[in-house]
Amino acid sequence: MNLNIKSKKNNTFDAIVVGSGMSGGFAAKELTERGLKVLMIERGHEIKHIEGYDTAMKQPWEIEHRGKTSNISAEERWANSRFWGLGSEEVVNHLTNDKKNPYIEKRAFDWIRAYHTGGKSMHWGRQSYRWGKHDFEANAKEGIGIDWPIRYEDLEPWYTHVEKFVGISGQKEGLEVLPDGHFLPAMPLFAPEAHFKNKMMERFNRPVTVGRVANLTQPQDIHTSLGRASCQYRNKCQRGCPYGGYYSSLSGSIPAAMRTNRLSILHDSIVAEIIYDEQKKRASGVKIINQNTMQTEEYFAKIIFLNAGSINTAALMLNSKSNRFQNGFGNDSDQVGRNLMDHQLGSGATASIEGFEDDYVYGQRPNAMYIPRFRNWGNDKQTAYLRGFGYQGGASREGWSRGVGADGFGADFKQGLTKPGAWTISIGGFGEILPDPNNRIYLDPEKKDQWGIPMIVTDAAFVENDWAMRKDIIASAVEMLETAGFKNVTPYDRPTHMGLGIHDMGTARMGRDPKTSVLNAFNQVHNCKNVFVTDGAAMTSASCVNPSITYMALTARAADYAVKALKKKDL
Amino acid sequence: MNRREVIKNVALMLGGAFSAPTLMAMDNWESSTKPNTNGAAFNLTSTQQKIVAEIAELIIPKTDTVGAKDVGVPAFIEMMLKDCYKAPEHQSFMEGLASMEKVKFLELNTDERRGVLKLLEQETKKITSKTTPFWRLVKELTLLGYFTSEAGLKASFEYVQIPGKLELIKLKPNQKAYAY
Repeated sequence: MNLNIKSKKNNTFDAIVVGSGMSGGFAAKELTERGLKVLMIERGHEIKHIEGYDTAMKQPWEIEHRGKTSNISAEERWANSRFWGLGSEEVVNHLTNDKKNPYIEKRAFDWIRAYHTGGKSMHWGRQSYRWGKHDFEANAKEGIGIDWPIRYEDLEPWYTHVEKFVGISGQKEGLEVLPDGHFLPAMPLFAPEAHFKNKMMERFNRPVTVGRVANLTQPQDIHTSLGRASCQYRNKCQRGCPYGGYYSSLSGSIPAAMRTNRLSILHDSIVAEIIYDEQKKRASGVKIINQNTMQTEEYFAKIIFLNAGSINTAALMLNSKSNRFQNGFGNDSDQVGRNLMDHQLGSGATASIEGFEDDYVYGQRPNAMYIPRFRNWGNDKQTAYLRGFGYQGGASREGWSRGVGADGFGADFKQGLTKPGAWTISIGGFGEILPDPNNRIYLDPEKKDQWGIPMIVTDAAFVENDWAMRKDIIASAVEMLETAGFKNVTPYDRPTHMGLGIHDMGTARMGRDPKTSVLNAFNQVHNCKNVFVTDGAAMTSASCVNPSITYMALTARAADYAVKALKKKDL
Repeated sequence: MNRREVIKNVALMLGGAFSAPTLMAMDNWESSTKPNTNGAAFNLTSTQQKIVAEIAELIIPKTDTVGAKDVGVPAFIEMMLKDCYKAPEHQSFMEGLASMEKVKFLELNTDERRGVLKLLEQETKKITSKTTPFWRLVKELTLLGYFTSEAGLKASFEYVQIPGKLELIKLKPNQKAYAY
């Protein structure tokens, strides 16, 4: 009995954070910096910042299959390798083995996962955009889904807080559609991109800007004090950056939390259930299963932050059944697992560019240009679909691979390929997907994974609004590239499913009414206030901009609220 | 065999090798479950390896810089086909090699070999199958193997492992491309 009391004491913290990715890392940082003793629980193995990036300094000839996906990778990583390039040895071992961690696709869903310290924050695309006022208001105005319980003004100071810590390079543009943030110096547009920008403003009155990206162009004390240095312009971010040139939980939030001496991290520990105390009407902790030893253990805390990634967070809630929550934890509304959203991508256009032969670039820009949403904005009204899309893309000079499709071989051919080729350009759309209760994940009633946890079923797909938008993404891309005077304009439309945007969200949405939503305005589970969900699951709509800094801003805001509430003994 | 005969033979071979029924069979192959989808089933004879090596060397010959054979491209091609490609491409590659064997590629002089490859390049453009044809496979893998090999890359480009900065610059005459 004494042993039990002692072990319970050892296993008790002020807060538990489930997940170490983008939002989990930020939760740990904010909570520890406010004085809480925090246990972060990561289901995957440990990766250490710098020394864990085993491919980071590999030279091209040291990558066995030179960027191509081997048959073995494609088989083991059957979902991850659907995303271009993620099957390569450069990154593949940092992504989840899908064969060992299968899910059931009732409708095909490209679920890209990274079960290790830092999660997908190690591999993200780093594009960082604030939402606009319209993004929080659209659902209510259009009668889609439910209204957000917050507005832009609620999140604004938290965006600034996050941007300062993360370090985001960008250009202030003064646009209502894409609010400016707190930026480090912008990276340059290349010569043909600057030409394109001018043409788009002249002919369509459409702004174009350089991407806002979480790479340090001019590190500040807040970054260097964590050991982070300037971006080295290698553009190999996805392998992990030994310089800390881009932001991840590994380079940023986890070291910040660690230096408070109030963070403990548990690896290889899958949170199987949230423990609900029927008497106190509060969650008292979590039950974990060690992924290697199968041993179970319980951990306890006053507050719990769920940051397992939107699909796993929803699955954990659904798997946590009690007398009070027989339909899954916090699931009185039956909305847990529903309204799964993403951003559609994979369509746009490419072109070749004549001229600019003398313009070249030293270094690799880990960034692109950005064309903010212009559809259903201002005077533009589309009849075929709601909301809009932004484009990401850019110009580059062709490399040796231009020789593959070109005629010729031999000495002159070989010599020619050592010179930079012609400029080409490609732009691709990122389109907003609407919340739809029929797009969902749920737990299989019978099938279990190797740890005895019910398997996740994905049941979601694009709907008519998405397909209509996709048509316009392609047509508008062609129109814009042609208008800029580029040649051989070619539309593209790669077959993808929902999920490939790797922005899965919406599965435990925020709202005002507990009957139709899972979380309140401070990301608290409506009917169990000491549990907060601040990953993508919380999203009530998707916007068309990349979501990570919004997740982090929501997390910081919720953490601030949680600690104040704890101090007032409201929690 | 003179050059004219060689080319005539290649045309016949290619016509035979990539006839419509073959292409259909290759498409069916992909959708059916064949035991032959693992890499172990893909192996080249020493003659076939020689043909691959000679073709690779014609694509990227040794000049004042190293050529395809110097940097191990032939073995790279075989490894890549085995590890990263499946039955339809294996089939396509083997059919291409069979055509080369039938025209006795290894017995031709360099000019005749070049003639065969030029014809092969032109004929390949007519192929509409979704399976990558022999010429495209051998050309792509030769370029990939060569330009990403240590000696090939360093001989061809200005290799910069850690740029440290990003700068818009003006290209100097005859400047090589950067590789990173």
